[in-house]
Amino acid sequence: MVSIDYELRKKVMDTHIHDTLKYCYQCNRCTDVCPIANIAPNRYNPRNIILNSFLGFKTSIFGVEDKFNLWGCTVCDTCDEVCPQKIELTEIFTVLKNMSISIGEGPEYYTTQASAIYESGKAIPPQSAIERRREQLGLPKIEPPSLEEVQKILNETKLNKIINK
Amino acid sequence: MAKADEYKMFQGCTIGNRIPFIEASARKVFDKLGIKTSEAPFACCPDPVGFNSVDHTSWLAMGARNLTIAEAEGKDIVSLCNGCFQTLKLVNTELNQDEHEKAKINKILKTIGKEFKGTINVKHFVEVLHEYGPDRIKEFVTHGFPGLKVACHTGCHYNRPSEIVQTDDPMEPVKLRELVAATGAVPVDYEEEMLCCGAGVGNSEEEPSMQVLSNKFSSALKAGAEVFVVICPACFQQMDTNQKKAGTQSNNTFDIPILYLTELLALSFGFNPDELGLKFHRSRLTTFLDKHGLK
Repeated sequence: MVSIDYELRKKVMDTHIHDTLKYCYQCNRCTDVCPIANIAPNRYNPRNIILNSFLGFKTSIFGVEDKFNLWGCTVCDTCDEVCPQKIELTEIFTVLKNMSISIGEGPEYYTTQASAIYESGKAIPPQSAIERRREQLGLPKIEPPSLEEVQKILNETKLNKIINK
Repeated sequence: MAKADEYKMFQGCTIGNRIPFIEASARKVFDKLGIKTSEAPFACCPDPVGFNSVDHTSWLAMGARNLTIAEAEGKDIVSLCNGCFQTLKLVNTELNQDEHEKAKINKILKTIGKEFKGTINVKHFVEVLHEYGPDRIKEFVTHGFPGLKVACHTGCHYNRPSEIVQTDDPMEPVKLRELVAATGAVPVDYEEEMLCCGAGVGNSEEEPSMQVLSNKFSSALKAGAEVFVVICPACFQQMDTNQKKAGTQSNNTFDIPILYLTELLALSFGFNPDELGLKFHRSRLTTFLDKHGLK
């Protein structure tokens, strides 16, 4: 049985600044243009995610066997452009992905990258081989960011707790 | 908004720390045109696909920190990367339009003695080049590519969400095409021009990512494209390194050169493949270079 999670509904509605979500009439334009729904129609369907999130059907989004139902999104922002109700779907998917990560359901790539950013300030840390190549190409040295500042910020936002570091 | 006499260069993690030859071509093009840039100790933008999906607040705060660095000098940012561009543009806009979020992020930034003010602009390098003008750029072309059939691929985060980034048409962008045409090359029409490269979904699963890429390649080849021209390092890497994989999965053989817009421009300005580090490309460029007498 599907139960309604009012907290999820409130979170999604609150985050959505323009409050247009409730006007979704399930026209399916988002799914029509989605490059992933196009190649994996039984595994990923943006219209369905929107429906489930504003109805508060939490168990249809999280805790399911195939996490591709949410993480199949390739973040191309095409659905946002075609929605006749101007719903920013990608923004809602971000809220849902953040929730998915916080309960440990996200693909490993995401938390690995977040750790790299915490540790080095960069998603791709500097490597000596590339630094030499930069020099050969006549490129200036990359000024390293203040790691102290980066980590202070991310301690403040409790990133470590979120990615279970 | 800040005056654009000099931009803060934002090459991003992928170009800066993995494929710096792209930056070499961009700097050569900028120098030739007299577009000035300077360095700053920026951190990761951070990634709009990866890091924003992990924690939106952390993403906003880190993006805002980068913006404050440019604000301190009163200079706009030019990004060489779609992802960095989209992040910095979205963060800048969201914080400028939402007082509540701005206050929340500034409370975080206060711990490092910084404050987001919202006084600068963020630009994609294609915007900067297009503002300079395809016609003026044409004057620098000494080694043009007359008749070269190009599949233009802007990638997703250059022109969407259009309401915020306001760079170009969200589904029929023209600026890249006009800049490519300035070299004498001919942008071809292909059905899947607006299709994503598939890199985003590749963070979760490889098979659908290769399927999207294969569809993209097939469509461009069907239209007679000889090379792809791209403006995003994530798209570049996806297309440059995964041709074999995408081909194997879809029973195709892909062998198509992938060029960054700044590489095409730099070649057309007379720079040679060596000084641009074109040997670091994974897809083969020899046929293309030979055909155009480039050594």
